[in-house]
Amino acid sequence: MRTFIILAVFGGGIAHATLGQALRIADVAPDIPLIVVVLLALRRGPEFGCGAGFIAGLLQDAASGGLLGVQALTKAIIGFAIGAIGVRLRVSQPLVQVPGLVLLTIAEGLVRFTLLKLFRFPAPFGELMTYVVLPQALYNGFLGAALVLALAWAESMRERTS
Amino acid sequence: MKIRALVLLGTVVAVCLLLLTLQMRGQTAGASDVLAVLTTPVQSALARVNRATVGVWSTYREWKNVRAENHRLRDEAQRLRVEALRVTETVEENQRLRRLLALKESMPLATLSGEIIAREWGGWVRSLTVNRGRADHVTRLTAVIAPDGLIGRVVDVRPGASIVQVLTDPASTVGAHVVRNRTQGIVEGDPRGTIRFKYMARDGSGIQVGDLIVTSGAGGLFPRGIPVGRVRAIDDRGSALFHYAHLAPAVDFARIDEVLLIVGEGAHDVAALFPDPT
Repeated sequence: MRTFIILAVFGGGIAHATLGQALRIADVAPDIPLIVVVLLALRRGPEFGCGAGFIAGLLQDAASGGLLGVQALTKAIIGFAIGAIGVRLRVSQPLVQVPGLVLLTIAEGLVRFTLLKLFRFPAPFGELMTYVVLPQALYNGFLGAALVLALAWAESMRERTS
Repeated sequence: MKIRALVLLGTVVAVCLLLLTLQMRGQTAGASDVLAVLTTPVQSALARVNRATVGVWSTYREWKNVRAENHRLRDEAQRLRVEALRVTETVEENQRLRRLLALKESMPLATLSGEIIAREWGGWVRSLTVNRGRADHVTRLTAVIAPDGLIGRVVDVRPGASIVQVLTDPASTVGAHVVRNRTQGIVEGDPRGTIRFKYMARDGSGIQVGDLIVTSGAGGLFPRGIPVGRVRAIDDRGSALFHYAHLAPAVDFARIDEVLLIVGEGAHDVAALFPDPT
């Protein structure tokens, strides 16, 4: 499990810039590290979510060549928040997972945009939301739900065999 | 919520904001470099894996596409080949039937078209079976022709079919003459499957290779002027009474599929209906 977590956090953060491109649909790539952070935060709580979000986001920043700390901060906040409120949510249903991840991605986008605006980020909000954040949010929602189902299936198989 | 978690969040937020602020002031090149040392090799390795995976995948997909296309094209080629054969055959049949119909319509004699349904091609007997018989009022010794010339005569009539003795049958004899100099003779079948023109030496001294031999109409069995064959070689037998000219038959008996049976009276000259191809 520990190896999986390390791979998920470190690999996810770096892999996003390389392997994530292979998952592009109509020029929209999913935010794999965000999905990984959300999944880990739901299972491990706010501290783990915050730490995983910080590391994954930092690596993502470094790998993508952007400002160091932007995604580290947004993903740490998302990881913390979802870890804190996740216990109160019924997240085992795809009907919750898909809109949940969509909303989380939008929230992350809003936080990132606000943060970047503080550092004179020039892109207009409307276009960024329409062409980047919302399509990615939808993609994340469906991909995340699929990953949750796949993990649940893998765990049930493991329990059955053990 | 635990204090520790909030402290962690606060620390993370503070570190991130510090990083961002320092970056904006251009003072975190070192931190970026340290992270790049960590991330670049992993990225390179992942990119290699990605390229290899994508390469294998795209090769597999291409191979699959090529294979599917190959199958499709092979099926298509097969279908087209069969279709082309069918079309060619239909066109050929159409041409044959048109020629036969033209001959039938221009013939001043009553004729009956027939289709060949069997062939006997042994050395002893050479015959064709036509799908016209007693029910069609076909009688024995009816002349059988094709658009290219004479085929033979009916030697046996059955209820639904007739047996036609082909010119190349060893027992076949037909009265004929050379068109160019009117030398009279007899066209005989040959056991080798060819035909020869037998003529009296003193009459046929002027026969040349390439001369056209047609039916003479003598005996009233065959109409006069139906092409029989063309002189291929002359067999000069010195002082013998009869000489022979080997003929190339006017009709390719092996390839003929439709024929005309002359059911009316045969004392006509039909030479004009068979234009000399030379």
